[in-house]
Amino acid sequence: MSTLEANAGHHHDEGSYFDGPPGMMARIWQWSTTVDHKKIGVMYLVAVLFMFFLGGMAAIGVRYELLDPIRTQTTEFVNAAGDIETVTVTTGESLKELMGGMFGEGVSGSQIYNRVFTLHGAIMVFMFIIPAIPAALGNFLLPIMLGAKDVAFPRLNLLSWYIYVVGCLFGVLSILLGGVDTGWTFYTPYSTTTDADHWRVVLMVMAAFILGFSSILTGLNFVVTVHKLRAPGMGWFDMPLMIWALYATAIIQVLATPVVGITLLLLIFERVMHIGIFDPSLGGDPVLYQHFFWFYSHPVVYVMILPGMGIISEVIAVNARKHIFGYRAIAFSSLGIAGVSFLVWGHHIFTAMGELAAILFSGLTFLVAIPTAIKMFNWVATLYKGSIVINTAMTYGLMFLFTFSIGGLTGLPLATLATDLHLHDSYYVVAHFHYTMMGGTVIAFMAGLHHWWPKMFGKMYSEKGAMLGAALVFIGFNLTFFTQFFLGTQGMPRRYANYVDEFQTLHQISSAGSLILLVGFLVHLFVFVQSLLSGDKAPANPWGGLTLEWETESPPIEHNFHKEPILKHGPYDFETTVPPHWDPKDYPLPENAGKH
Amino acid sequence: MMQTLASAQPDILQKLIFGETPAPSEAAAWSDGLFLMITWFSIFFFVLLMGLMVYFTIKYRRRPGVPAQPSPHHNLLLEIFWTVVPSSSLIVMFVLGFQGYTSKVVSPDNAMELKIQGSKWSWIATYPNGATSPETQALSRVVDNENHTVIEGKQYPIFYLPENTDVKLRMMSTDVIHAFWIPEYRTKMDVIPNRYTGFGFRTPILTPGDTYVHRETGEVMPGRDMWVFCAEYCGDDHSRMAATIRIVPQEVYDQKMADWSVKLSPIDAGIKIWTQLCKTCHETDGTRLVGPAWNSFKNADGEFGFGYDALLEDGSSVIRDANYYRESILDPNAKIVKGFAPAMPSYQGQLSEEDIDNLIVFIQSLSDRNPNAGQDAGDAEEAGSDTEAGSDS
Repeated sequence: MSTLEANAGHHHDEGSYFDGPPGMMARIWQWSTTVDHKKIGVMYLVAVLFMFFLGGMAAIGVRYELLDPIRTQTTEFVNAAGDIETVTVTTGESLKELMGGMFGEGVSGSQIYNRVFTLHGAIMVFMFIIPAIPAALGNFLLPIMLGAKDVAFPRLNLLSWYIYVVGCLFGVLSILLGGVDTGWTFYTPYSTTTDADHWRVVLMVMAAFILGFSSILTGLNFVVTVHKLRAPGMGWFDMPLMIWALYATAIIQVLATPVVGITLLLLIFERVMHIGIFDPSLGGDPVLYQHFFWFYSHPVVYVMILPGMGIISEVIAVNARKHIFGYRAIAFSSLGIAGVSFLVWGHHIFTAMGELAAILFSGLTFLVAIPTAIKMFNWVATLYKGSIVINTAMTYGLMFLFTFSIGGLTGLPLATLATDLHLHDSYYVVAHFHYTMMGGTVIAFMAGLHHWWPKMFGKMYSEKGAMLGAALVFIGFNLTFFTQFFLGTQGMPRRYANYVDEFQTLHQISSAGSLILLVGFLVHLFVFVQSLLSGDKAPANPWGGLTLEWETESPPIEHNFHKEPILKHGPYDFETTVPPHWDPKDYPLPENAGKH
Repeated sequence: MMQTLASAQPDILQKLIFGETPAPSEAAAWSDGLFLMITWFSIFFFVLLMGLMVYFTIKYRRRPGVPAQPSPHHNLLLEIFWTVVPSSSLIVMFVLGFQGYTSKVVSPDNAMELKIQGSKWSWIATYPNGATSPETQALSRVVDNENHTVIEGKQYPIFYLPENTDVKLRMMSTDVIHAFWIPEYRTKMDVIPNRYTGFGFRTPILTPGDTYVHRETGEVMPGRDMWVFCAEYCGDDHSRMAATIRIVPQEVYDQKMADWSVKLSPIDAGIKIWTQLCKTCHETDGTRLVGPAWNSFKNADGEFGFGYDALLEDGSSVIRDANYYRESILDPNAKIVKGFAPAMPSYQGQLSEEDIDNLIVFIQSLSDRNPNAGQDAGDAEEAGSDTEAGSDS
């Protein structure tokens, strides 16, 4: 893969965004006061990856505990004197044996398990997966892909990061004080009454509340940036699909997040001041909370997945050298998903609502499947007659099609009322949303990270090492979660530390898978660290992309472009355009191009 | 339609997905049939998409000097086709799902009504004649006759139901939200503190293969056991909030109803309430659970049992008399014993004055300072074992 690197960026009048003043303190000051979207994106990346690590360790803890069910058993026997004696023994409290001291005296194995799965959920949802793609990759890429110098409100952008960090600190503080056992959904009246003598629950709810503001401000920033700062010549339908996805995401963030903010505040009011809103013993209604909560938290699953879909559109098109099939269909389906996502929250509450409402929400839920199906068909059709290269990003892209298809299709029995009554709150649901959130968003995040890593850090990574990591992640992921579909259909409820014996084999397979998954991510970590320390210098356009970020150097200069870029070709015109920094003889164009 | 979707003899796929036991009702079998139909639909589209993906990836792999070949960037007809075909299949699923939902939720007017009460962390079922079940069984039970030992897990209540009968559940929670899930019936509903919820099902006709083992006698009896799990997270012992539904012949059921409606002695009534409500958190053999054990013993945390002083969180101490227990039942957070969390919900309104009285009689009987000693000593022997000191395992 040779490029015109030698010709590019030789008029260095400014250095890369990574260059800074000499001296450790000066650099820390420079980074912590920066308004450069690239630096903020990198700071987000570091923060979310740290949270991913914490949440991942909690997940390993959950799987470790589930190797054995927690069992309290009484043994009745005849002692030497001939009397009947009983001894009660609790076994299988793996987490308690491992780290019981962390949670203080007199805490049972079940209580520790409840806290660990709550931490896993709360960290992964609020601190990792919501900000992962939009705030980390999105911040770095959105302005460059639009040909802008920065986002519309750079200072607000820095503020978002600080709010995010403060939110995370609240969460971590809550963990250090012993953690919470409410589940990440904070369902009332359990969440307003549990641990009544502690501030931990309030701290964790505050964390989610604060993180919401970070999300809203980032969304606002992106909406305005997309509207106002597109490069000259870039109409709405010349935007890369990544931008469409981030735009749809930003709209959801701005519209839905305030609702959960208010809800969490009401929860704190009830807990601290005993104002009856959700707790029936104070005159409230517990299901009201679920409606409020899912009115935000359903749209927010599309905040998690839409940017992932954007990444997949870019990665597949570039590595297949094909114009994306059905550009407008994909763009509009992003907006369609964003719109319909506000109407389907009720499917989280099928078992707690009236018949009419359940039927209505079931019908609406099927609607949201359609735009997602359209995207899947479009991505596969994009591969047709392409020139497909399998690098790490593309491997993750194709892996996404595999795992996310399973995630989407296994959602159908959950939207179908009759079957949902069985599968609701079972391991089937756990498997389903891990296939969409992890098999969807995290896999797409990995695709994006490998695709744009050279651009972000100016270094290449070991393709072999990364492919090994990807293979381990794929095997580990499917082993961990495919088994859980069967656990669910056979009757295993969610959030159980103690289960009946017949489920143990499947649980053990699942736990073994999670270990492979962990090793896979550690391999990736190693590859990335090695790349930063001793990776080859990245060319400006290693994969032959046509979007604007590939026109500037790797890593980009501080102001992104030497002069304002003018759009001369569409983001997917691979048939007619030699990519920037490439030699035409290394990039053959089809002879009969341009007819379509 | 009902018959075409349900298959009486489960095939391999069905067994792999739902386990060995056949669905106990038509509605459950129908729901499995629908699930399998959706699964086949999903497998078709999954294989189609993945097949094309793999085929394209191999056929159109990158070769040096060979460009990608131009092809249309969109195709309206194709796109309409792959929008309309899945959409119409989804409509079919929606309608069938709605039908199956109705057959699970709605029960005939003459169905027998069983009242279910969920509370942290136990289930109580009340029968139409007002009786409740005192019988329990463990998740696991190992009898070793050679060494004369019995190893048993936690006890869960058994709810008897007659075979071949329509049953309607009316459910309510006394504290947080729970969910009543009978996996074999493929149905669950949330159990909510401020409203009734419910669903219905028809109990199967017992076949000769449907048997269970009687806990005490070891006899093999006709009947079919099904697990009930709490499916909505409800706190510490959420995963120990289970019950068994036992389908039995009508005459066995009638006999149980007759036995259970007999008025119990105060201490037996107390034991029954303890088994149903208190046992999850309070043992009677000195074992430390969420709450203190009820029998009299002494350990590092102080003295326990009726008639002994309780050391409280604030450093003071108070005598455990009848009024102390009464207050602890109605306003549990008023006095917290040192070393324990304020985790107990109030039973105000749930337990009658008589219930409270009976419970206190039972608690008294567990202490060596029992004021009623001599009158009901025999009962006390039976109820709790007399382990000397509390072993905090």
